[in-house]
Amino acid sequence: MQNYPEELRTPPVRLISLVGCPDLHPTISNHLLSEQPPIHTLAFPDLSNISFLLPLPSSKESSEPSLSTPPPGILKRDWLLKRRTKVPAVVAALFPSLHVSGDPAQWLQLCSDLDHLKAVTRSRNIKLVVIIVHSDSRDDINEDRMIALRKRAEVDTKYVIFVKPNDASDLSQSLHRLRNSFSELANVYYKDEGRKLKTRIEKRTSSYTELNIRYCFKAAVYAEFLSDWIEALRFYEDAYNKLWEISGLPTKSLSIQRLVEIKTVAEHLHFKISTLLLHSGKVVEAVTWFRQHITLYSRLIGEPDTEFLHWEWMSRQFMVFAELLETSSTTSLSIPALGLGTGNKPLTEWEFHSAYYYQLAANYLKEKRSSFELISSMYINADELEKTTESLVPSVYVGQYCRLLEQVDVTLMQIVTDKEFLNNTIAGEKKHQEPFHMITLLKKAYESYSHAKAQRMSSFCACQIAKEYYAMDNLEEAKRHFDNVASLYRREGWITLLWEVLSYLRDLSRKHGIVKDYLEYSLEMAALPISFDVHMLSLRSKDCCPVNPATLDNREKIHNEVFNLVHEESVLASVEHGKELKVTGDNPVHLEIDLVSPLRLVLLASVAFHEQVIKPGVPTLITVSLLSHLPLTIELDQLEVHFNQSECNFIVVNAERLPSAAMASDKHGHRVEQAPSLALSSNKWLRMTYQIKSDQSGKLECTSVIAKIRPNFTICCRAESPASMDDLPVWKFENHLETLPTKDPALAFSGLKTIQVEELDPEVDLILSASTPALVGETFIVPVTVVSKGPDIHSGELKINLVDVRGGGLFSPRETESFSSSHHVELLGISGMEDNADSHLISDEAMKIKQSFGLISVPFLKRGEPWSCKLQIKWHRAKPIMLYVSLGYSPLSDDPNAQKINVHRSLQIDGKPAVTIGHHILLPFRRDALLLSRTKAIPQSDQSLSLPLNETCILVISAQNCTEVPLQLLSMSIEADNDGIEEKSCSIKNASSNLVDPALLTPGEEFKKVFTVTSEINSSKQIRLGNVLLRWKRYSKTEDQYDSNVGSVLTTQSLPDVDIEFSPLIVCMESPPYAILGDPFTYFIKIKNQSKLLQEVKFSLADVQSFVISGSHDDTISILPVSEHVLGYKLVPLASGMLQLPRFTLTSARYSASFQPSMAESTVFVFPSKPPCELADKGDAGPESSGPISTSLS
Amino acid sequence: MIVCVAVVGHQNNPLYIQSFTEADDALKLHHIVHCSLDVVDERVNNPRKSGPTLNETFLGLLYPTENYKVYGYLTNTKVKFIMVTTDLDVRDADVRNFFRRFHAAYVDAVSNPFHVPGKKITSKTFAESVSTIVKSFGFSSAI
Repeated sequence: MQNYPEELRTPPVRLISLVGCPDLHPTISNHLLSEQPPIHTLAFPDLSNISFLLPLPSSKESSEPSLSTPPPGILKRDWLLKRRTKVPAVVAALFPSLHVSGDPAQWLQLCSDLDHLKAVTRSRNIKLVVIIVHSDSRDDINEDRMIALRKRAEVDTKYVIFVKPNDASDLSQSLHRLRNSFSELANVYYKDEGRKLKTRIEKRTSSYTELNIRYCFKAAVYAEFLSDWIEALRFYEDAYNKLWEISGLPTKSLSIQRLVEIKTVAEHLHFKISTLLLHSGKVVEAVTWFRQHITLYSRLIGEPDTEFLHWEWMSRQFMVFAELLETSSTTSLSIPALGLGTGNKPLTEWEFHSAYYYQLAANYLKEKRSSFELISSMYINADELEKTTESLVPSVYVGQYCRLLEQVDVTLMQIVTDKEFLNNTIAGEKKHQEPFHMITLLKKAYESYSHAKAQRMSSFCACQIAKEYYAMDNLEEAKRHFDNVASLYRREGWITLLWEVLSYLRDLSRKHGIVKDYLEYSLEMAALPISFDVHMLSLRSKDCCPVNPATLDNREKIHNEVFNLVHEESVLASVEHGKELKVTGDNPVHLEIDLVSPLRLVLLASVAFHEQVIKPGVPTLITVSLLSHLPLTIELDQLEVHFNQSECNFIVVNAERLPSAAMASDKHGHRVEQAPSLALSSNKWLRMTYQIKSDQSGKLECTSVIAKIRPNFTICCRAESPASMDDLPVWKFENHLETLPTKDPALAFSGLKTIQVEELDPEVDLILSASTPALVGETFIVPVTVVSKGPDIHSGELKINLVDVRGGGLFSPRETESFSSSHHVELLGISGMEDNADSHLISDEAMKIKQSFGLISVPFLKRGEPWSCKLQIKWHRAKPIMLYVSLGYSPLSDDPNAQKINVHRSLQIDGKPAVTIGHHILLPFRRDALLLSRTKAIPQSDQSLSLPLNETCILVISAQNCTEVPLQLLSMSIEADNDGIEEKSCSIKNASSNLVDPALLTPGEEFKKVFTVTSEINSSKQIRLGNVLLRWKRYSKTEDQYDSNVGSVLTTQSLPDVDIEFSPLIVCMESPPYAILGDPFTYFIKIKNQSKLLQEVKFSLADVQSFVISGSHDDTISILPVSEHVLGYKLVPLASGMLQLPRFTLTSARYSASFQPSMAESTVFVFPSKPPCELADKGDAGPESSGPISTSLS
Repeated sequence: MIVCVAVVGHQNNPLYIQSFTEADDALKLHHIVHCSLDVVDERVNNPRKSGPTLNETFLGLLYPTENYKVYGYLTNTKVKFIMVTTDLDVRDADVRNFFRRFHAAYVDAVSNPFHVPGKKITSKTFAESVSTIVKSFGFSSAI
């Protein structure tokens, strides 16, 4: 497209001319250009200059082209340019107002100038505008002069325009007016010109089609000037169709030059049409038009000699259309629905893509090149061509060429003959060959296709690019593109296409002298799945290329070539670069085949262990299978099988080929196996099974199999597991018999190239013993014993881990209670055996202990030697835990890196509480205090205990053994808290013996101890009673000799808080401890008022059958403050046994509280007669006193 | 005249490709068939554009080259049939008819219990029937 002249490529812009007053020109022309649609300006400083541009019409030019002789050409080359740059539609004459209104001389000059201008413009129908420039506002032009001027210029009033350059607002107004006038007049001018041409066309004034075409073209251009695109399109199409009438004649009648001219004109017209169509968004029409254009002109090939011109022209059509499509933004936006194309010739997707046209342009260019080569080879005589060096220049007419003859002072254009034209063209073509033109086109197509994600199309383009580079000997570029393409063909299994690409690549590497690449490509080609298919036989391209037909024969040929090459004697000459391809000892070839390499076709190694897990040192079987798709059988010299444990590597030697090597031991000390033959026939697994053993535990993996084919040629093949083997890239589509890599089909589907080598069996006893559950609080001992049964133990290490059985940690941040550690279970320490004094202390560096984790090192142990230690674990909470102990040691040496053997043991241990501590408080017997807090509503039964002030209460603490083992209770005490009341421990009943000899508590047994509590402080707040401290230990007969405090455990439990309350009334009942039937006794009821108020109480005593009562039954009495009222009754028992005393009821009026003693308190035992033994001593003690228990609370 | 027919599998791999030209342009035809798969992909992935050909096995003209026309057909098992012809004026009905017969022949071939789906078709009977269908192309409508 860039080759076209500017005026053809862009839409025409209207042109006007300014004459005179040059200082105003820039203002006006800028204004005209900035508006839409723009107007171009031709500016002349002086009126006299105009004649250079528009010479006075000569008689020859003014006349119409002669109608009698055929015109020499169709379109004049410079006509369009002239219309755009030289012939204005309007001429504006600028006069200063001074000249108009000035002296007569100036006026006369102005008039003559105007006449001259008129003469020039009138003949060409150019419109005239007169502009009067008011440089000074004072200038005034009288009306007569104005009329005279108008008459002289023969212009309408509105086309005489005043401009005041000094007045900004007026200037812009004037400019606007100017513009309107110009545009109006220019439209008139172009319309007139167009109309003139149209009448000529309609009248068919000329019998020559050429002239009609010219008129149509001109009419179209004038329509374009008017932006009448539809009209323009119609005339261009007319011109195009008329042109076809000429060229549609039998081609023989057209001379070479004539054909060239027609095609050039057609090209121009077509370009215009396409541009107009595309710019108006009619993509479908444009594409259809282009298709029609190509269909019409593709037949006009012309003489065989000029065929290359035709192909070049065709190529240009495609290229230009591609560029048009690319630049036209509408293409990407709206590709219309397909199938709606023109009837039976629907459009396809790619016809809307520029890539398609670029590709075809390149194709035609290729065609052109081949036909040009043919024609230029016919013109062997270079001298003849040399002679025709004088170049042809384009002549007056589009598409015509002539020779430029330079005479002394004039240049003449001479028409050339067809022969001369042809010679010249060929010579010119030879000089200006553009080798990269085609690659550029193809690259554009490639990029465009890639952008549209059409990878196969783009690959095809890449393939063509690569072939071009190949032809140009640009080897790197060619290889890069070919390699890309080959990967696609490999993936999709297009064998023939792959074969072609590989042929090129192979030849490239041959030219480069790269042996490795050459071998790789050759081997891949030889291994491609090409059999006897007949249709493959005809595979040959017309180009001279290194592609041989893809046949089995050729595969075999390549195979033999490769194997001859790796035999040292053969050398393949690389002709072009003087390099030689050879494989020698100095230049060995080593090919790597990994899991994605295309060379997997050539050699595929599948390795399967027969077992999944083995013990170290125990032999197992391994099957190494090789598969090759090369057409002929290959013999391997030796096979190296490599493992990740290099000591397992082994070598298989072909006994036939290397009988001597088999005897020699391998220099690395690897195992050497002998195989009778290592022949790898085509498409057949070579299976070999060998024994293998590993002494090292861990993973044993076969990494690679290296096949040494010839001394200087090895192929390293990554080992693959049969279970996870991918299909071979190209062969997977073939309908051939597939065999399994191993004989055992199960192994073929599940076999792996890795095997797990287990650790050695540990020959060590690790014993954990804990018979009973642990008790909370005690230091629980778990003995651990290590005994070596087999080899010695070096650098042993014992790891101890405590884990909560229910999961989760042993740590609970929720617990706020004040444990020394927040761990519920804690590993306190590890001690050695007690009977072994040396190891009693384990040094700190050998032992690392954290709360739930410990690590100690075990000393060197000989065979059979035991070692033991004790783990001290303390439970803070009742919780079952799991104890994990693992011993790691190395059986052989002290080397820290040596392989270790691990033994694991675990033991679940329950932690249980040892004792449950209970308590209860007893108030004094038959002495009841009125506690006001109790008289209130008692819905909340959990309210804390209240104690009366200044009374002695009894606290009973009980401790029950809730374990399954007997415990020894060493002491029990109450410890006061730091604040609150002081307490003093009291002696226990039968104390002395119990303290010395700890109490033995069998499982389930309960121990009780009694305390008295007296409170003397009336405090509103609650009082802490303190904590019960219980010291105990496990009962053990053997440990008697030790200090009883060793190993003892202190269990603490806090007592509940109590309220101390002042009681206003206290009721005491006094009666003898027993009575005798018929013997009267006195029953006192004392009511004590402790308050400082007068208390009014109501009491009543109910009658009972068992007793005869004397005394007041019920009454209301008043008791003075801090005094006591005693009620005395005489009672005679009438029955014997445990009898209920008369019920006494007391009601306090002040507190509206009534009192009734409990049943248990108001009973007395009545003997039937006086007992024979002496009871008097015991009777003294009295039931209400606590006997020897004496408690004092201060 | 039909110059090439092809059956293309799921991975865009050729299952059967046969050219019917005396000239040595089999390679070129293979390229054309391979490139036309892009158009098939495009039509299958953007069915909106293909409008009336939606849900139809016959894909129509895939792409015009200088001398050939390429037609496509997609079976409901997503196997593609490609046909390359040199006739510039081909009736759609003829092509449809051709593909229908070709499809029938293909179904017969893959119904062979010894045929492994996804592998190349090597049946001679299939090749023969294809060549019969190809030869009768264009005449069938006359009969």
